[in-house]
Amino acid sequence: MKLEIKHQEKYSRLELLLRTIFGFFYIMLPHGFLLFFVSIWGAILQFVAFWIVLLTGKYPQSMFEFQTGLLRWGIRLNARVMNVSDGYPAFGINATDDYTSLDVPYPERISRGLVLVRLFFGLFYVYIPHFFILYFRTLFVFILIFLAWWAVLFTGKYPASFHNWVVGQIRWTTRISLYMKFMTDKYPPFTGDEV
Amino acid sequence: MPQPHELSDREKEDATGSYLMMFATTAIGLPLPIVNMIAAIVYYFVNRDKGRFVKFHTLQSLYSQLPVSLINSYGIIWAIVNLVKGNPFTNVFWGYAITAGIINLVYFIFSIIGAVRAHKGRMYYFVFFGKLSYYQAFRKEERDESGFVNKPPAF
Repeated sequence: MKLEIKHQEKYSRLELLLRTIFGFFYIMLPHGFLLFFVSIWGAILQFVAFWIVLLTGKYPQSMFEFQTGLLRWGIRLNARVMNVSDGYPAFGINATDDYTSLDVPYPERISRGLVLVRLFFGLFYVYIPHFFILYFRTLFVFILIFLAWWAVLFTGKYPASFHNWVVGQIRWTTRISLYMKFMTDKYPPFTGDEV
Repeated sequence: MPQPHELSDREKEDATGSYLMMFATTAIGLPLPIVNMIAAIVYYFVNRDKGRFVKFHTLQSLYSQLPVSLINSYGIIWAIVNLVKGNPFTNVFWGYAITAGIINLVYFIFSIIGAVRAHKGRMYYFVFFGKLSYYQAFRKEERDESGFVNKPPAF
């Protein structure tokens, strides 16, 4: 999995203020409304894919691409909400973005045994250890987002190290999603860095 | 008519998925049979252009889903009305419920067979719905081109 969010040389202060004051109405509301319904469809396909993977050991490619597209949409939206990207996030599963990218290699085979292990014990060996650490990391990332907001407002630049941390947060949670959605057999590492 | 060896894995997978739309209600955890029907409709419209084999199976799945969803919806509404109004669950209701259960079981079995066949790249025809779907997916449009100005080149 490769997730990248471009660190821009300059960030627009006007867009930052617009997102902060009106972002809920012109970004969150329309995207959230559509994503709600698309996510329901995603949940249905996820359920169907689970059975197909369990019975055949292969993730249906169309469904895999849909889930990847859904993750990309979420990443585009999160990048704006967390102020790590400028511009308006594109709508749709197949939309592309200049600032964000997510590449997930399609696995030829998925371990059926691991599918069952994840289903029954995923809470214990994935969610609990990861979210325990992510809880504290998230608190720290919120502080960084707050500080970066002021940095962008006064200098027009987003501190690169802050950017890495925030992007790392998105990368980490995306890896967990991929693993728990049976889209990869690779256990998510305890890091937000590219591995 | 596409033969199994002519079909890509992707076409087979897409065709298989259509029959599993009967689990849509279970997937989102709501006891609303109409969700299965909506899922089958959405799946059909998303996949109908992926080849005639996929179109046939998605259409067959959709057509067979329609009556089952309606029967289940009516049963659910009937049960809710009885519960809300405090009406007794009569023998007529139980007769309907048992019949609906049998229809669901038959539908389930046929759908699983359909899914397995589709995964192997095989055609599988349900009673009535199979022919209907075949006609719609594989029919060739017969147009009278005698009045057309633009025509293909004559050989």
